[in-house]
Amino acid sequence: MSRITLAFSSFFGLLFGGQLPDSVLIALGLSKRGAKSTPAAAAPPKVDVSEGALQLLGLLQRDARLVDFLMEDISAYSDEQVGAAVRNIQENSRATLGRYLRLEPVIDGVEGAVTQLTAAGALRSEAAAIKLLGNVPADGNVKAGLLRHKGWKVEKIELPAMAGKANLKILAPAEIEVE
Amino acid sequence: MAIGIDLGTTNCALAYSRGEEIEAFGIPQVVEPNEVRAEMLLPSFVYLAGARDFAPGATALPWDEEPALVVGKLARKRGAESMGRLVASAKSWLSYPGVDRQEAFLPVHAPEGVERISPVAASRAYLAHLSAAWEAAGNEALGEEEVILTVPASFDAVARQLTEQAAREAGLKRVVLLEEPQAAFYSWIARHADWRERVGPGNRILIVDIGGGTTDFTLIDVKDRGGALELERVAVGEHILLGGDNMDLALARQVESRMPKLDAMQMQALWQQCRAAKEALLEPGAETAEQVVTILGRGSSLIGGTLRAKLTREEVERTVVEGFFPHVPLEEIPQRGRRAALTELALPFASDARITAHLAQFLKQAGAAPTHVLFNGGVLRAGLVRERLISALNLWLPKPVVVLDGEDLMLAVARGAAYFGLARQGKGIRIRGGVARTYYVGIEDALPAVPGMAAPLKALTVAPFGMEEGTGHEFPQRKFGLYVGEPVEFRIFSSTVRRADAAGDLLEPMPRELEEMPPMEITLAPTKNHPRGVTPVTLASYVTDTGVLELYCVAASGDRWKLEFSVRERKG
Repeated sequence: MSRITLAFSSFFGLLFGGQLPDSVLIALGLSKRGAKSTPAAAAPPKVDVSEGALQLLGLLQRDARLVDFLMEDISAYSDEQVGAAVRNIQENSRATLGRYLRLEPVIDGVEGAVTQLTAAGALRSEAAAIKLLGNVPADGNVKAGLLRHKGWKVEKIELPAMAGKANLKILAPAEIEVE
Repeated sequence: MAIGIDLGTTNCALAYSRGEEIEAFGIPQVVEPNEVRAEMLLPSFVYLAGARDFAPGATALPWDEEPALVVGKLARKRGAESMGRLVASAKSWLSYPGVDRQEAFLPVHAPEGVERISPVAASRAYLAHLSAAWEAAGNEALGEEEVILTVPASFDAVARQLTEQAAREAGLKRVVLLEEPQAAFYSWIARHADWRERVGPGNRILIVDIGGGTTDFTLIDVKDRGGALELERVAVGEHILLGGDNMDLALARQVESRMPKLDAMQMQALWQQCRAAKEALLEPGAETAEQVVTILGRGSSLIGGTLRAKLTREEVERTVVEGFFPHVPLEEIPQRGRRAALTELALPFASDARITAHLAQFLKQAGAAPTHVLFNGGVLRAGLVRERLISALNLWLPKPVVVLDGEDLMLAVARGAAYFGLARQGKGIRIRGGVARTYYVGIEDALPAVPGMAAPLKALTVAPFGMEEGTGHEFPQRKFGLYVGEPVEFRIFSSTVRRADAAGDLLEPMPRELEEMPPMEITLAPTKNHPRGVTPVTLASYVTDTGVLELYCVAASGDRWKLEFSVRERKG
């Protein structure tokens, strides 16, 4: 997987699914912790397909053609070809995210520097907000460590109000040009 | 409270002031289906939506659940995909005498069955949107407020009258018209508290305003009147339908020739990218010598269909700077292409793209040389274009011009209009201007008719150039015998170049450079003094406080009848 695809896949996997997609895990050589112990019998909690997720995906397709990009098999194209398009897609995706969301790092520190967990403020004790890596003591009681990734959190989300009957599952309409 | 509206060819803006500071108003508009956002500019486009264009309610505005017309950013965007329903450049049509400007004929290429609108109706739609948006934001309604509305300096009396009519129909009852280059200068004054130290008596300021679709020139003199500085607008240029869009399109056509065939949408994307590339490459000291223009694949295969092309600085300079701003001698006269009989309705675009040639002609006609220059309009954001204009001016002029800078080129006109609103309330200096053309009434010689020959015409000067707002003239020496109750037409002429003719001057024979305008019509309605029969009347002219020229027939009894431009084409 190219770095760019990897980055996008990870971002949306985390944003919409709360976890990294399998393809990303494989590409990074990671494995799901405790994946084996998941009891097969327990039915997964029923999650409503979030309207917001569909809408955001629709917006990213509309403004940046992101779905087109993610769904395209790009293995045959040269890096130069991919690069030319990606600049455009990245710029527009970023503008769209900036317009509807405010994203901030969980810890606004310097990556690679020793950082206190308290730098995460109110999120310091949330397991979902800070992932401990390496030699984590058994009680999990850690005060500081090297900041490997600042993390991302959504500070604010403001999606446009949709008209009542909008079909959000249509991410992009088919286009037919009348000659 | 002062409100200024820039009713532009491609974008509208609104600025206001509640005291000293002038602020621009963020205009809520539908930017995408179901999405309303405030933007500083309201694109001057109307989209005539069909049944399948948008989902029900998708174009709702906070103040209107189902707008009849889609206006602004969404109109422009959707219109690029479906040109046949897009109304653009309504303002240029408003000033074009070759059509009936009240007739619903836009878009010209609308498919059969689409309900078209008139240029006046389109202008009305932009103003109604601005007015409703302003009120919906919790401000006082504009209906009773004095609103300053800008028009090109080169707009003639008919185009001004139609603009005022559009405003009235949009519910704006108290509109004052202001010329755009003057507005740009007011904005400069508003931003420079020390402006009196920067310009002084004897200075002559050239204002070059190059917008998306039009180019406008104006000269303002700084005078000393009893120790106080006075500003007077002394010349305005002709209406030139030539602007930044032409330059971007010229670049896009060049790039297109190096790409496989593009569809309309891709051409639109290319056009916009060329504009951005032009601005980046024409910045003085820009480090990059080229910009990559990328057009993403049209279908769902994005990477595979992506097209790229390079636009080099050398190429942009050749096309834009040399193509539109070549060095020309001051004696240069723009070429006037003779148009073959047009088979379809189209705007009279300038046939000579050399803006410098138009500028040379304007300066030569205006006489004395400018000492300062002020730039306005989006094209002049490109630094090398500004530099080229300055070097062209300096080749013609005895002394190098001083550049008055520091302007927000996109919002200056609206801001200046708001400043003028303050000035009208006594909180700022006003530019003395008056009418921007000289107007004449054509009078036929009372000679015996010669078969096959039109009677020679004389021209009576009824409104001299610079005739000020709130003043009038009477012409008792010319009497006309009109039948009460019967329509009569007066032929009206104007000139932007004859600035020396005084009120009452009779030009005989009529000079050829006068331009004929639509005729003015009058039917003397019967009055108590004049119930029927022939009534001898004389003419009187008046320029209203809001800058509109009016003509009257006056009888000896004191009864007056107003003449109206007959802007409708005579049928048959």
